[in-house]
Amino acid sequence: METMLRDRRAALLLVGPALLIYSLIVLVPVVWSLVYTLFEGNVLSGFQFVGFQNYTLLVRDPSFWQAFAFTLKYAVVVTIGQVGIGLLLSLLYVFYLGKASGLIRTLIFFPLVLPTVAVAQLFSKIFEIAPQYGLVNSLLQGVHLDGAIQPWLGQGGTAFWVIVIMDIWRAMGFYAVLLFAGLVEIPGDIIEGARVDGATGWRLVRYIVLPLMTPILFSSLIFSVNGTLKVFDSVLALTGGGPGQTTTPLTLSMFNTAFSNGQYGYGSTIATALAIMCLLVTLLIFRSARRDVA
Amino acid sequence: MSFIEEIVSERLNRRQFVKVAGGATISLAAFLAGCGSSTGGSTNSNGSAAIEFLSVQQEGTGWPLVLSTITDQYAKTHPGTTFKVNFAGQTQLYQKIQLLAGQGALPILYNSPPADLMAQLVKNGEGLDIESTFQQLGVFEELQPVAATLLKKVFNGQLVALPFELNIEGFWYNKQIFTQNSLQPPDTWDALVQIAGTLHQKGIQPFSASGTQGWPITRLVGNYLFRKLGPGALESVKSGQAKLTDAPYVEAAQAVANLGKQGYFGKGVATIAYDPAVDVFLQGKAAMFYMGSWELRDFNNPARNKIGADNIGFFPFPNVTGGTGSSTQTPMNAGQPTSMNKQKYNATVGQWLAYMAKNYGDVALQKEGAVTGFVVHNPPANLDALTSLVENQIKQVSEPVLWFEAQFSTKATNISQQDAALLATGAMSPNDFMVAVQQAF
Amino acid sequence: MSQILTGRVHETKRSVPTVRAKRGIPTRKLLTRAPVWVLIGLLLVVVLYPLLWMLLSSFKTNAEFSLQPFWALPSALHWQNYADAWTSGMSTYFLNSVLVVFPSLALILLISVAASFALEVMLWRGRNGILLIFLAGIMVPLQMVLLPLFTIYFQTGLIDTRWALILTYTAFGLPLSVFLMAGFYKAVPRAVIEAAVLDGANIYQIFYRVALPMVANGLVTIALVQFFFLWNDLLFSLTFISSDSNRTIQTGLLNFTGEHGSVDWGPTFAAISIAVIPTLLLYVVLNQKVIKGLTAGSVKG
Repeated sequence: METMLRDRRAALLLVGPALLIYSLIVLVPVVWSLVYTLFEGNVLSGFQFVGFQNYTLLVRDPSFWQAFAFTLKYAVVVTIGQVGIGLLLSLLYVFYLGKASGLIRTLIFFPLVLPTVAVAQLFSKIFEIAPQYGLVNSLLQGVHLDGAIQPWLGQGGTAFWVIVIMDIWRAMGFYAVLLFAGLVEIPGDIIEGARVDGATGWRLVRYIVLPLMTPILFSSLIFSVNGTLKVFDSVLALTGGGPGQTTTPLTLSMFNTAFSNGQYGYGSTIATALAIMCLLVTLLIFRSARRDVA
Repeated sequence: MSFIEEIVSERLNRRQFVKVAGGATISLAAFLAGCGSSTGGSTNSNGSAAIEFLSVQQEGTGWPLVLSTITDQYAKTHPGTTFKVNFAGQTQLYQKIQLLAGQGALPILYNSPPADLMAQLVKNGEGLDIESTFQQLGVFEELQPVAATLLKKVFNGQLVALPFELNIEGFWYNKQIFTQNSLQPPDTWDALVQIAGTLHQKGIQPFSASGTQGWPITRLVGNYLFRKLGPGALESVKSGQAKLTDAPYVEAAQAVANLGKQGYFGKGVATIAYDPAVDVFLQGKAAMFYMGSWELRDFNNPARNKIGADNIGFFPFPNVTGGTGSSTQTPMNAGQPTSMNKQKYNATVGQWLAYMAKNYGDVALQKEGAVTGFVVHNPPANLDALTSLVENQIKQVSEPVLWFEAQFSTKATNISQQDAALLATGAMSPNDFMVAVQQAF
Repeated sequence: MSQILTGRVHETKRSVPTVRAKRGIPTRKLLTRAPVWVLIGLLLVVVLYPLLWMLLSSFKTNAEFSLQPFWALPSALHWQNYADAWTSGMSTYFLNSVLVVFPSLALILLISVAASFALEVMLWRGRNGILLIFLAGIMVPLQMVLLPLFTIYFQTGLIDTRWALILTYTAFGLPLSVFLMAGFYKAVPRAVIEAAVLDGANIYQIFYRVALPMVANGLVTIALVQFFFLWNDLLFSLTFISSDSNRTIQTGLLNFTGEHGSVDWGPTFAAISIAVIPTLLLYVVLNQKVIKGLTAGSVKG
């Protein structure tokens, strides 16, 4: 069997197409982009070699750090929210809902089916303050909390939370289903055995269920972190990065720098910084995953 | 999409403009322009002109409507002449310009990109010098002088665009609210602030403005500067003689920020988009509205205008006490101008162009009620009140002034318009605002 | 965990009852029923009310949006909004989305299943390195490759065509798919392959007839996961597509936004409703498959 599995020609044939497309469309542009970081300008004003100037500029640029902080804050909060609530939901499905959970699962999953632009447009209406009060402000008015009525999307702080709520609302169903799938994997006799031993409710979850779910929890975390660090659509469609630059993540910052300001090199530098950030964070999670599972 | 949406879509200073594939890609086009194969030019097979217009307005509305009407008339004596519209939404315009220029297929008429990019197109031979062309054709007098001056200011001294619109800006106000509160249109900035204070106390929102657009707020800053320091206020910044962080400039930002601090822009100014801001004014919820005369289209639309067209008054941006500027120096613009592709220009097109220049003013006024940068030869007998008002104002203009970001780089324009909302809500100090814009220069 | 290999290999001596099987709810849970249902009710309201609101609002006119309060019901069923939405582009956008996403999915599945087999099952020098290279691709932010890709497509005349999107989607779908697929292949026991070899199969037959069927569940998982990514892509379609006739749903929805941020809300929500119904049906029908697929693929540690 070994010789058959060592068939180099077959291996090449099978992996070839993937490698070809991947190299041309992913690898080459990545390298190209890295080269851009050593230049500045665009074809309009010509490319000038500036060495590492882009990097030194980047480190000193307050708007970069603002975007960096936003991206990080967003990724952490939304990941905890999505996966956390997803976990709670999955526990709900399994332990409290039984057969009915199928329908509920489907319903709560529904927001994922919507295009992200659609969800953003919906939420901009929900949190509206002018020309009419949206849902939230209307509710506040209804319970006589008029003091709390504010332009949710017009302030950096509250706009952040609106985006967070929107993305958690959208994706919690997904993580619920994902973690549910992991939950039902757990052999019933382990649960029963633990129950017999006296573990109930929270203790059951904490000491038995969660440890058994660790692999899928970590997969979910990585999946979520990866996605949230690169948030783009939700923010673009809801606030456009505003007001000002207060809700601009690194992805949008790069996009604007390159396409609005015509700075290819600097834009590529921001993208590189983002890529490094993603890499580090993912490695971090991998490390802790390995430590736990081992 | 309503005509208004299109007509305002060409606001030069909207940051949405340049969003997708803006500068970089136009440059790409310029770079590859040489590699492109030049397609036919703009003549039909029978030798008549084939005019194509890359426009942010759809055919059947706005400039395309006027141009097609003119071309139809022209075709009676020059059979076979055709006019076609190539529509590109605002956010796609630059991408399209770049693509087409790169393939040598940029149409003979196209909505102009911002100045720095237009300069590159001119350098590559794709921007026609309107001034010399018109002089050659003998139709230079068809251009209103103020329009030509304006466009030259925008495009670094060269006249490389056609003024299919001519707009003034100022404060439109709800006459009823003013009379009910015994208010008179102000002459000075301080009087304006006082009026706002009075209205605010009575629970009436003084100003309506769109924070998401940003430029309605930065217009106020720019105009304050023109009134305080004279029409050259921002050119000094561009030439480096002054900085936006100098005291008088920060004072302007401070003045506008104060309006926001007092709440004179209403709640949630940072969330209000363009149309809602118009609606707030036209539904009588705000007393004053700084805007350009392109908005007349909505003012004259009874379905949208709930307060009545005869209830809308106009006063120019007031003077600033102790300033050198005066209120006859009216902020003006030519909407989104239209440039021509030199590579596609020839004698046949020239004939059409001359005819167009002689007729545009009249046809636009007839068909659209629009004031343009072209001379009107046969003014209609009864013009609605607002349009007459605008025309009179234009006649009284001693010197047009541009707008805050007119001379800025694309990046500075974007920063300025994005941060305007922060300035208005007090989330960003006037000093920080000016620093941010100056840095982006 | 034996679920993956249910019915195919006798590794466990008896089918293990899972948590799901223990569903006769023990009495101690009855007491907690009521608050649970309240919670569920609340959840459903939070999730479904905005969507219901959107559906109702798709029948409102623009004036109603700016003049009537939020919760007001539409004055009448303005079906015109739907007609507007459909004719002013939704039909095109929908078609384009379909024409771009499904071929991409097919390509992704085809290519990644083959590549993963070579990388995971077969033995050759450098396979770990190449697998790592694919994994690194998961990390690449799309923005990083946007400019160079734009240039490449421009030079090859692919800008503003669906091919630009199909190629891009396929290429970017590969890393994750290869990764997931490799995980599925890991679970294929070598004993089965050995048996096939002894039966005289060549490597291609092993791939096609033995390994492939065993990871069929994985194909479904990957297809579903990638589907959501591709269907909702905004960045690439925004950058590479410029003419209206080639737009996909997401960029098309932005089109209902007037050029300066004004939105025709009625037709916009109508458009969204139109876009959603087929995908919703897909989800409802495939719901079980989704769960099964995710179940099978989730446990790979």
